[in-house]
Amino acid sequence: MSGPIINDTPTKTTEKKITIDPITRLEGHGKIEIFLNDEGNVANAYLQVPELRGFERFCIGRHVQELPVLTNRLCGVCPAAHHIASTKALDAVFDAKPTETAKKLRELFYMGQYTHSHIAHFYALAAPDFVLGPSAPSNKRNVLGVVDAVGVDIGAEVIKHRSYGQKVQEIVGGRATHPCFGLPGGVSKQISEEERAQMEEMAKSCVEFGKFTIKLLHDVVLANQDYMGLVLNQDAYYLETYYMGMVDSDNKTNFYDGDIRVVDQEGKEVVKYKPSEYLDVIAEHVEPWTYMKMPFLKQVGWTGFTAGPSSGIYRVGPLGRINVCEGYTTPLAQAEYEALAKTVKDLGVTGPVHHTLAFHWARVIELQYATERMLELASDKSITSDDIRGEVNEPTEGVGICEAPRGTLIHHYASDKDGLCTKINMIVATTNNYAAINTSVIQAAKALIKNGEVSPGLLNKVEMAFRCYDPCNSCGTHALNGSPALEVNVRRADGSKLDTLRNF
Amino acid sequence: MTLNGKGRRKKTLVVGVGNPILSDDGVGIHIARKLKERALPGVDVEELPASGLELLDMVLDYDNVVIIDAIVTESGTPGELHTMQEGDFERTVHGASPHGINIATALALGRRLVGDRMPSNIRFVAVEAADVVNVSESLTPNVAAAVPSIVEKIVAELIEA
Repeated sequence: MSGPIINDTPTKTTEKKITIDPITRLEGHGKIEIFLNDEGNVANAYLQVPELRGFERFCIGRHVQELPVLTNRLCGVCPAAHHIASTKALDAVFDAKPTETAKKLRELFYMGQYTHSHIAHFYALAAPDFVLGPSAPSNKRNVLGVVDAVGVDIGAEVIKHRSYGQKVQEIVGGRATHPCFGLPGGVSKQISEEERAQMEEMAKSCVEFGKFTIKLLHDVVLANQDYMGLVLNQDAYYLETYYMGMVDSDNKTNFYDGDIRVVDQEGKEVVKYKPSEYLDVIAEHVEPWTYMKMPFLKQVGWTGFTAGPSSGIYRVGPLGRINVCEGYTTPLAQAEYEALAKTVKDLGVTGPVHHTLAFHWARVIELQYATERMLELASDKSITSDDIRGEVNEPTEGVGICEAPRGTLIHHYASDKDGLCTKINMIVATTNNYAAINTSVIQAAKALIKNGEVSPGLLNKVEMAFRCYDPCNSCGTHALNGSPALEVNVRRADGSKLDTLRNF
Repeated sequence: MTLNGKGRRKKTLVVGVGNPILSDDGVGIHIARKLKERALPGVDVEELPASGLELLDMVLDYDNVVIIDAIVTESGTPGELHTMQEGDFERTVHGASPHGINIATALALGRRLVGDRMPSNIRFVAVEAADVVNVSESLTPNVAAAVPSIVEKIVAELIEA
């Protein structure tokens, strides 16, 4: 194969507004607007997202036990994450303690979700930029182009292992795409020894594929000086933010359960909170040009799209999690975590990794962890026990949090004594990252577009600044009942309306 | 390689694609449910609330596949029926689908990687949607009114095939 095409030749534009629409390879029809000043430099940039209206109203008055199968309809990408967060919220609403078997089955199911989601992101969304190059022609810069470059055999392995992740979810969760097994205090379905053994075999294969993926990242990205130049470009892809993510009692990463830890720009713990305390930590900022709210750390405050200790913007997802944790409980993920730590230390970095494109490295480490944890759980013969339901009490109010592949996911419900939903609030992963994504887009646009000179490759490099967050817009604007349709999406640099378009 | 362990089956699969709680976005699901009630011999019916790679998992080892989805076109009338082939449906509202693999790309990937397990015939039935923004389990009136005749048309084609 020929080498990746990293740069192309920019041409001068006289336009004041550059639109990247729709954002390629992103769930939902988002749009980036870049506004240039008279000198042709970037005045500002916005990431706008579509909305999905009336979900909160849709849920009020329904039985709360319906919510795990309703909230997972918010999204075709991460329904399993919504299902898990929702089920955990029901544990809290019903003051129900899930049995050990139920907890293991939920986590096993969830490792299937991570395996399939992180494989899909890395190979379908990230690999086109890394294997073919950010400036490769756009009609080749996709997963088919990746297959052309790396070969059909590797492509088939990608599809196979992603499918294994789906299959594990199907066995444990009842359905592959929109699961239905979560109940307060447990799960609805016992698994057989035959199913367990089948999952163990698939998990073994996934662990090997995780190793292969890490090697591929090393060979293609980390060994390529031009790419490392991009990754380490602090003008375009570097934000010193706070970070948030779930950890276990030893501060090791956990996707399913634990406390939520926040660290500062130096890596020092700012707060560690229980799910029920999230409103003490997070507040939400509203901008006039988008329906998606922008959470920030309440104790720090909102100061706009800037990084640094005085800005309450935080990041979640793979980069957030790797910065809040002190390692992994599984050996291969831990080894790669140490490799990353050494690499950044050799670069003189102390504390968290603030390089935005390091999301990708963190994601493949997490893929390895998810596969190893999946194997641990699938090898545990006790998971076939019939002890899958704990006791439930009268419903009240509760919060459930898990780590979605894209970041911290919060579900908060209140119920009347009959179990009917009286309140629902959700903060989804992409919403948690939204302020940071915007800040990254502005930073990359300002660094990469100068003197009105643009090219497809440059614009794709702007997209790379937010694509690495793996944003999923379809559920990010869920709770905005009564808002007008998202039609106004062209604005001047000062944010005032310039034109009206439909967004789909 | 084996993706899902299914053996080669000479059967037809109908897939309703969409979100059943997002108004007309779920029209494909609504139609699929009506078709399932008919229990046509040799025809499996599935619902797919996502698209892209999930669709690829689903269609393998079938000979004929009919995919029913919602679509929003510039000048379409709500409830209007569009029929398309594998190469020309990028305009569907699911174009930028989960992880960016739209239906066309997913099927092309399947033909490239597991071509011997791909259906020989894939047809698309797209129904013009009026509302794909508001959360609701109901279709808008014009789309709902079009569903029975679309169901009959698909049934006739399936029986003929």
